[in-house]
Amino acid sequence: MLDALERFFSRLVSLDNPLWFYYPLLAVIAVVYKATKLDRPGDIARASLHFFVSVTLGILVLGLAFYLVSILF
Amino acid sequence: MTDPRASSRSPMAALVLGWLLPGAGHAYAGQRGKAVLFASLIIGLLVAGFALGGGTNILPNEWWYAPQLGAGGPTAALTPLSQYLAIRSPIDWASPLREIGTLYTAIAGLLNLLVMMDAYVTVAYPEEREDRAAHRAHRSDGKEGA
Repeated sequence: MLDALERFFSRLVSLDNPLWFYYPLLAVIAVVYKATKLDRPGDIARASLHFFVSVTLGILVLGLAFYLVSILF
Repeated sequence: MTDPRASSRSPMAALVLGWLLPGAGHAYAGQRGKAVLFASLIIGLLVAGFALGGGTNILPNEWWYAPQLGAGGPTAALTPLSQYLAIRSPIDWASPLREIGTLYTAIAGLLNLLVMMDAYVTVAYPEEREDRAAHRAHRSDGKEGA
């Protein structure tokens, strides 16, 4: 199990992981979406950061769950 | 803040301007800061996607062109260049970079639809929109404090 987790996280941070291309995309989506909802720059920045971190962590947890299921079953 | 003269403006004009040039609808509504933010992010995303795809991913004969058209003016400007590059060099359909680039351009178009609708609402219902934004900001402040 620890080996699998190590493989997962080493793949996650490797430079050839195409996921790196999704972070700027997600950042733009977060800022544009929140800027249509809020007016003050401080509110937009805070809400965008919250959106970005929430979605990134959500995808990470989902990816890890799928990965563990794929190696266990 | 919304320009007080916004009530004399046409929401449809904000919508069409926002389609022709991302952010132009907000500039028309008097929100220059947001106009610059939206223009730089959406055009930047579209151009980045175009570059990642080798310039061959904004083609009218692909289904992706429908969402890409959401960013009307810049997409229309890049289409002939993309067609030219697609004729000049063979397209690597299996390239992951092309796929990611196409996704970037499609998301840029879809985001611009959202921005256009926001420009429309800002001009059509300026007070309601500001009230809702203030309410959301207050709610998020409450979450931070909790």
